[in-house]
Amino acid sequence: MSPTARNGATPALTAILGLLALLAAAVSLVIGRDGGGPTFGFGGPELAQIIVQEIRLPRTLLALLVGGTLGLCGAALQGLLRNPLAEPGLLGASSGAAFGAVLVFYFGIAGASSLLLPLGAVGGSLLALAALYGLAGRRGDFLTIVLAGIAINALAAALTSLALNFAPSPYAALEILFWMLGSLADRSLAHVYLALPLMVPGWLLVVAAARGLDALTLGEDTASSLGFNPRRTQALVIGGTALAVGGAVAVTGVVGFVGLVVPHLLRRAVGQHPSRLLLPSFLGGALLTTLADVAIRLLPPGPELKLGVVTALLGAPFFLHLVMRNPAREA
Amino acid sequence: MTLSAANIEVQYEARAAVRPTTLALEPGTLVALVGPNGAGKSTLLRALAGLIAHGGTVTWRGAALARLDGRTRARTVAYLPQDPPVHWPLPARELVALGRLPHRAYAARETAADAAAVTAAMRQTDTLDFAARSVNRLSVGERARVLLARALAVEAPVLLADEPIAMLDPYHQLDVMSTLRTYVGGAGSGARLVVVVLHDLGLAARFCDRVLLMDDGALVGDGPPETTLGSAAIRAHYRVEPFIARHDGEPLIVPWRSLKERSGD
Repeated sequence: MSPTARNGATPALTAILGLLALLAAAVSLVIGRDGGGPTFGFGGPELAQIIVQEIRLPRTLLALLVGGTLGLCGAALQGLLRNPLAEPGLLGASSGAAFGAVLVFYFGIAGASSLLLPLGAVGGSLLALAALYGLAGRRGDFLTIVLAGIAINALAAALTSLALNFAPSPYAALEILFWMLGSLADRSLAHVYLALPLMVPGWLLVVAAARGLDALTLGEDTASSLGFNPRRTQALVIGGTALAVGGAVAVTGVVGFVGLVVPHLLRRAVGQHPSRLLLPSFLGGALLTTLADVAIRLLPPGPELKLGVVTALLGAPFFLHLVMRNPAREA
Repeated sequence: MTLSAANIEVQYEARAAVRPTTLALEPGTLVALVGPNGAGKSTLLRALAGLIAHGGTVTWRGAALARLDGRTRARTVAYLPQDPPVHWPLPARELVALGRLPHRAYAARETAADAAAVTAAMRQTDTLDFAARSVNRLSVGERARVLLARALAVEAPVLLADEPIAMLDPYHQLDVMSTLRTYVGGAGSGARLVVVVLHDLGLAARFCDRVLLMDDGALVGDGPPETTLGSAAIRAHYRVEPFIARHDGEPLIVPWRSLKERSGD
């Protein structure tokens, strides 16, 4: 194997994934859904602009952005924690965001402005991150981070249940539950504009850690001796993930397993390099999420499945497969 | 142009792991760091590499290492931990190439100099044959040599290696010691400094120019092998009766019998 062939594999994979994601996005713009199941095309020239701009474009853009965020952050977290089972939900950012959103529902102010809900979610996610840093930031070792993440997840889930318990009406409880399932339906471009300012800096922070993740392959001591402070790499990945995933959860609810599955599927193809996994995972996440969202619209008539339900249905068996298989044996 | 340590001191929870130690190490020398288990060898090495909090200062050519930016320090001092983890099963060559990270800008491709350094390091460690093989498909000894190649590929003027030959068969133990000898080079501008933690006193005496002997956190011997590794010192600090002889004009040290009581001197 020559060095050029080795370096060449990742650009080719990246190009293919990027192309496929664009194709999926194009398909997503053409396919809609109404009470009678899937619809194709735009239903007439004067309707076309409204349908695309108001309904399908926001949905497609969010699928790409949210899926990309989950894939990228999943790959970075797996590199940081050097564990193929890590994923964005681990840090508590998702559950914190869910709780923030639930509070908005709980106080019944979600109707006041369509942006209150995502704002609540962003607040919750940032609060969860602050708690994570308060609990584990100073100690800084990876195990403490993971344990603190689990604790924050549990607390956020408990508080969310509490809100459900005291929900003012069964209808509000149902609304909360549905929102937590994660969905891309009925989103507008305003949601895109709200999520992007959080996602883009988050992505940049995560990507800035790329070489530090490579160095961590040989453990913290070697990484330090190669000039990459593991604490700095950790701050970049965790801070970036909290921002980007907070933004994603704010507009779509909790979409699980994309951040776990996508990096794992691509790891071998990029020769196990943590840094080379980042961009393909972003594109792969965007592709997978867009496809899942298209699949939802293609199902026969009936209530629309939530995106989070579909990704969990596909992801859970895969997760089980991962657990049953010793990661050390893969080459 | 030396690596100087002034009053280096490391405390682990009120226990002195390394007592105040002052050292000046010259490029062009292969230095063995020896001593019984728990003497503080690895801790001293980690302090020299700037990996743990320590008292005192370490300077290279008069500049405090702690003040250098990470990349410059990484290009100056290469460090090979004892049995480091390999978290992802990279191909061997890719793992060695990680040693070039301090030389490469963000997202930069491998340069000809990087490729040459990686190939040279793999040739010196006899690892070119399995360059494309995944690290977790290698034997323990092969993996140890790939990790050494990673440290050599940094091409730093200072290499600190913690027990690089502990896992190797006799052939590769001798081979790695000659490789370190070659890496040190002669006098002059290309000369490098290697500090290597060893448990084989015979190899330390044969291959190294200078031996640092540690016991209970303190430097108790420092000088050429013949003076540092005398039978009295070995009895006192290792609690073994050594067999010392010469073969082919070179020293031969074999630990012969363990001594139950610490001898008085």
